[in-house]
Amino acid sequence: MSVLPYAVAAWLFGVGLYGIATSRNFIHLVGCLGVCQSATYVLLLGLGYRWGSIAPIFYDHPPGTPAVDPVMQALVLTDIVVGATLTALLLVLTVQAHKRGGSLDPEKLRPMRAGRKSGRSQDTSRGDEAARGAR
Amino acid sequence: MTAFPALLLPLPVAIPLVVCAVILTTAHLLPGRLPDILAIGAAVSVAVLCAVIARYAAQGPIVYWFGGWEPHDGVYLGIGFSVDEASGWIAAFIGMLYALTFVFAWGFFDRTHGHFHILMLLFLAAMVGFSFTRDMFNLFVWFEVMSVAAFALTAYHLAESSLAGAINFTVVNSLAGFLMLGGIGLIYAQAGTLDFEGIAAAVARGGRDPVVAGAFCLVAAALMIKGAIVPFQFWLADAHAVAPSPVSVIFSGSMVSLGLFGLAKVSAVVFAGSAQVQQALPILLIGLGSFTALLGGWMALLQRHLKRMLAFSTISHAGIMLAGIGALTAGGTGGMLVYVVGHGLVKGALFMIAGILLATQASIDEIALRGLGRGIWPAGIAMALAGLLLSGLPLGALDQGTRLVQGALSQQGHGIALAATAVGAALTGAAVLRAAGRIFLGLGPDPGDEAGAPSEDEREKANRPLWLMLAPCCALLALDVAIPPELIAHALPRAAAAFMHQPAAGALVEGPAWLPWASVAAGLAGAGYGLFRNRLPKIVVQPVSATQSAPTRALEFLHSGLIGDYAAWLAVGVAGIAAVLAMV
Repeated sequence: MSVLPYAVAAWLFGVGLYGIATSRNFIHLVGCLGVCQSATYVLLLGLGYRWGSIAPIFYDHPPGTPAVDPVMQALVLTDIVVGATLTALLLVLTVQAHKRGGSLDPEKLRPMRAGRKSGRSQDTSRGDEAARGAR
Repeated sequence: MTAFPALLLPLPVAIPLVVCAVILTTAHLLPGRLPDILAIGAAVSVAVLCAVIARYAAQGPIVYWFGGWEPHDGVYLGIGFSVDEASGWIAAFIGMLYALTFVFAWGFFDRTHGHFHILMLLFLAAMVGFSFTRDMFNLFVWFEVMSVAAFALTAYHLAESSLAGAINFTVVNSLAGFLMLGGIGLIYAQAGTLDFEGIAAAVARGGRDPVVAGAFCLVAAALMIKGAIVPFQFWLADAHAVAPSPVSVIFSGSMVSLGLFGLAKVSAVVFAGSAQVQQALPILLIGLGSFTALLGGWMALLQRHLKRMLAFSTISHAGIMLAGIGALTAGGTGGMLVYVVGHGLVKGALFMIAGILLATQASIDEIALRGLGRGIWPAGIAMALAGLLLSGLPLGALDQGTRLVQGALSQQGHGIALAATAVGAALTGAAVLRAAGRIFLGLGPDPGDEAGAPSEDEREKANRPLWLMLAPCCALLALDVAIPPELIAHALPRAAAAFMHQPAAGALVEGPAWLPWASVAAGLAGAGYGLFRNRLPKIVVQPVSATQSAPTRALEFLHSGLIGDYAAWLAVGVAGIAAVLAMV
């Protein structure tokens, strides 16, 4: 394996992390997290790749034909599932946070900070209200 | 053919998952409290099964290969569970903690349709799987299942601050997942297998290899993020403070320490053959652990939001556990394993007390609660006892773990780390004792205008009887005190050696006997200083406030609650680990 996939993966992770560190909008931040995750896709696929081999499907190839590593592809598939779950969950949280705080800016949605307006009026949520929201 | 005890291994993971699916499909049909009963039953059966497995595993690790895919000629194709005695007992402890938490949460949520129980059971299955597995990728899967359940549980109230806390928690821990997956990819590329033993053999053959070091760097960073080690600790205080109290019990009691448990297992089993990693481990773990113990303790002392205070106390104790692992001896790792159980019991009880205050007094702010706890004085006794145990009172499992960790550190001459474990424990104990004195005895100055809390108006469901909430809390504390120390001292050398895949060691060394008393005394003194500062002569108070105000403000500034800052610190931390690995 050449050094290129490593470099691309490191670059993607760094860029994504930079995006998260400087983001002022939660939707943008979720996108940056996706960029970080694509670093893992590139790394795993690059590690499993073999030059001049087929995809690991032997339907129309004789067994024994050189193929790329199927374990890595399984890892990437699982990774994609994880990514979809995380993105969906984060977007749900973002939508709910926007409903309650009226903002998508991390600066305005800090947990446990003084000086936020509308803290008291909005948050009377108890078990019963949580149940309503969870449905 | 798989023999009898091995057949039990999948059950503690399968039972909660099946019960979880049953509750999910029949939630709308089930009458009132049936999900509670089902969940308690599932957790108890997990605890009992894991204890049985642990008893059998005393003779040697039990291995189960899913689908009968056993390894042949050193080629590992299947995925296996492998349980040594220590992992089995840790899983049994987790099951028991869940059972008591379900009792504590009885009636906590009206009309939940079982969602709370479903997420909690998923969380439980993931934790047991995480401690049983012997496959790197399987470890990652349980890590992620654990994370996703935890994210959803943190945001369960859907209030503004719990959402913000959950988002910070989700982003940081997702990054941890990505790092871990990257590390697993690297180690697979080098070893060609994902099985712990297979990787260990390949690593031992390979010699010094930057890919192995890189893989370790990424996996260790991921597990330290879960374990809330400085500089990855920021998410914990946000998440634990805003999660519903029963969830905080599980977070602090088992999730954080399980991250460190995973780190201990991976560094002792998988990377045992890499001299580079083994040389870097003491510097990394003892250095970061000592620093974390001090910083967490100090931050705990600064908090007035009770759950946030307990969250920082958890960070401090995670640091002590990490220092124990860093000793790289059976004493250090064995002490850390006992510490996980003892700390989980005590910290779980403390979060339950915080939940009781939220439910009965409708506040979580130490200053606003001054004197309001008199009506529920039994909770005050429990809180004072828990505070003393946290600061190092020589009694019970937490103390035994502390003394073993301190023994391992002093044996190797890590004087500073030894002091850090004692000071960290004293600081968190001081914070808890100060709060207990203020809330239940009404000590300290009258707050006046200060009573308005900076945090939100919080409240948890109030119509549960006090005894129902107090009973599981007292059961946790009683367990911590009642576990017979001789039993642990007898079984631990063997269990720790099996956990680390090393030949059995002799009796384990304990630290100096005066040290726990010193840290209890320091804890009481710190609590007294916090409560009676205004009555002390100026000559005592002035130097303290003059020296501590600048670093305190700097620390408060660092814990900004901004996810961007957390991501930046995460990058710094990973770079730091990589630098240490590169230098040895």
